[in-house]
Amino acid sequence: MTMLRQIVIVSLLNFRNLRQRLWQSLVIVAGMTCVIGVLLSMLSMTEGMHQAQLNYGDPRNAIVVSRGTIFEINSAIPRDKARIIMSAPGIARAQDGSPIADPVVMVGVPTRMKKNGGRTWITLRSFGEKGPMLQPKFHMVAGRMFRPGTHELIVGNLARFQVVGVAVGDKVSLPDGEWPIVGAFATGDMMDGQLVGDTETLMPSLRRKAYTTIQARIASPAAFATFRGALTSNPALAVDVMRLPDWNAKSSADFAKFMRVIVYGVGVILAVGALFACFNTMYAAVESRSREIATLRALGYGGFAVAVSVVLEAALLSVTGALIGASIAWALYDGALSGLGSDVFTLTISPPMIGTAILWAIAVAVLGGIAPSIRAARWTVSEALRVR
Amino acid sequence: MKYIPLVWAALRRKPVRSALTFLSVTVAFTLFGLMIGLNATIELVAQRAHADRVWTFLRFDNSGLPIAVAKRIATMPGVKDSTVMIYFPGYVGDPKNRVFVIMADREYERVYPDQGLTQEQWQAVHKERDAIVMSQKQAALWHKKIGDNLTIISPETTRADGTKTWTFKVVGISEDITQAPAGFIIGNYDYYDKSRPLTEQGKINEVDFLVRDPAQAVSVGQQVDRLFANSASPTLSDTEVSAMSTNNFGGMDVKAITRDVSLAGLLMMLFLTATVIAQSVRERRAEFATLKTIGFSDSALMALVVVEAALPCLVGAISGMAMAAWLAQHLQALMPPNFGLPAPTMSASVIVWALASACAVALASTALPVLRLRRMDIAAALSGRA
Repeated sequence: MTMLRQIVIVSLLNFRNLRQRLWQSLVIVAGMTCVIGVLLSMLSMTEGMHQAQLNYGDPRNAIVVSRGTIFEINSAIPRDKARIIMSAPGIARAQDGSPIADPVVMVGVPTRMKKNGGRTWITLRSFGEKGPMLQPKFHMVAGRMFRPGTHELIVGNLARFQVVGVAVGDKVSLPDGEWPIVGAFATGDMMDGQLVGDTETLMPSLRRKAYTTIQARIASPAAFATFRGALTSNPALAVDVMRLPDWNAKSSADFAKFMRVIVYGVGVILAVGALFACFNTMYAAVESRSREIATLRALGYGGFAVAVSVVLEAALLSVTGALIGASIAWALYDGALSGLGSDVFTLTISPPMIGTAILWAIAVAVLGGIAPSIRAARWTVSEALRVR
Repeated sequence: MKYIPLVWAALRRKPVRSALTFLSVTVAFTLFGLMIGLNATIELVAQRAHADRVWTFLRFDNSGLPIAVAKRIATMPGVKDSTVMIYFPGYVGDPKNRVFVIMADREYERVYPDQGLTQEQWQAVHKERDAIVMSQKQAALWHKKIGDNLTIISPETTRADGTKTWTFKVVGISEDITQAPAGFIIGNYDYYDKSRPLTEQGKINEVDFLVRDPAQAVSVGQQVDRLFANSASPTLSDTEVSAMSTNNFGGMDVKAITRDVSLAGLLMMLFLTATVIAQSVRERRAEFATLKTIGFSDSALMALVVVEAALPCLVGAISGMAMAAWLAQHLQALMPPNFGLPAPTMSASVIVWALASACAVALASTALPVLRLRRMDIAAALSGRA
């Protein structure tokens, strides 16, 4: 108990005279501000993107792709196979008894980036009859739904932030001429950056004989095994069947890893720099307080209490810096729209990310403060009084 | 020169502090070096884009462009040379180990003289049907040498006999090129095409061609697209220059990111050096007062302080750049295979830029202490009252 009291008293004493070491102490604060500001800004992008990919579509759905498909858009499922797949057991039924399954056509439509005019492709996907039913988050926010059988498209309400020529009323150039955009929708996921048209109208226009994928609502979590078993045991189909969340995780894993290597690589390098700065500052702080430390020791305060107070001071400064950095990143980026290619997503700085930032700050403070604190604790009273 | 011992003495007075300053500057410059190096690479790739090269692919699909389109393009006025291009995707051993082979026809080397293959290597690729040339990076990745076989499983590409296993023979190892950060493999288009089922033969991914007049590149591309607009295979053409200048690595604004990160690094460093030098000057006010008394001019003192700050900065910058150069070579190994960020270039201009930034940081960080020294009251400083 006395030990704890000593720590509290010495630390409070420290914090109170921090003002005398203001500029020095600011090195730690500024250092961590930079580290965490950069780390969280970059993380807000990678994690926002990853989250959007994971939340893509309804988690109750399963996706059927041709066997070995890596990128969704490269899958191909011929019409005859699609019919077999959509009548497989395990699919949920609509009120009229028909299976809730829908073939999807996907195609990249060339367009240009709004920011720099660079070439990019916006994803055009299709809805059949059951399309909206499979996307419960889907709702129109402007204009109207396309009429099945006509050359009309609707657009996600965020697409226009990323690419040109996709506002309601614009026309999109497709093989069968110019298709007007008649409405805008929102789903709250990656579809918000895409175009949607009618499956059976797009197929002949794109001269396709195969759909890209099939999505189906699974009747119950247990029914997935039935559904998958029925499809994969039929060698003629040659398809892979996955739960949509699993498929999303698989397709974004490589890119997420790539991004994380970069982001954490940059973060760690910056943090090591901040660590040296912290070490330096605490070292100087201990020296400038040598007389005070000697007096405390002479009064009977233990070396451990002094050492802990040094680390606590470093932690206080470092966490302050981290919080400033996190606030700056949060103010600049949280909730902001961003995009990668034509994919649009919202940047997020989540509480766990801020937690990570504080952990990093404490780690830097402990690693940087430990050596100076040991030095302070080891001083004998007479030595400490002699340090200039 | 006579100041050097003075500066050295100042730095040695607090060796731990000097060492730590040096280390944190090193770290900051490692990052700075990687960032501006990456930027330099991107600019280099854009600069190396050939103004006369145009890429044509299928507009809405990747199901394959009929080779007839390539033959038609080759006969168009203004087109000098054209080649067909196949990106052959697959994996080695495990689906995670993805590879791509560029299947090249005989015209490919005329359209891509900058691919990094020697004349002999091009001949070797076309002489044996299952031949491939790997770049050094790819050869190292899969532990291959000349004469070895490379077996690729391609779920997307069936052979005429229904199998999906393709075995190639390594006939050459070529230089790597900046444009292909993860390395590359070149194979024989004829072999590829004849190995496919009849219904799939004659389908290609891309027609790449050279125009006679680079100024006409855009308009020739547009002519191609107009020609095929209403065909069964509408095309999309882009000049290499336009594709490369807006090259955004999957849509990332690499330039903005590198700029912000390196600025943050510099800012951190500036703050650190500034406090360290200010502290060092504050502690030695009496010493500086003595120097003034024995006749050192204000500018001499100023030089002393600036050099004292600049030395760890410059040495740190140099070692940081060395570190960055070393990391740049090993960066690729950290990335998932075939997910390459281009390796940062450590060109002379990158190094000059880094050293200039180090000097700027040193100058900026000494501004305040230097001003204080000029205004210093010698008597007060000597008596310890200041």
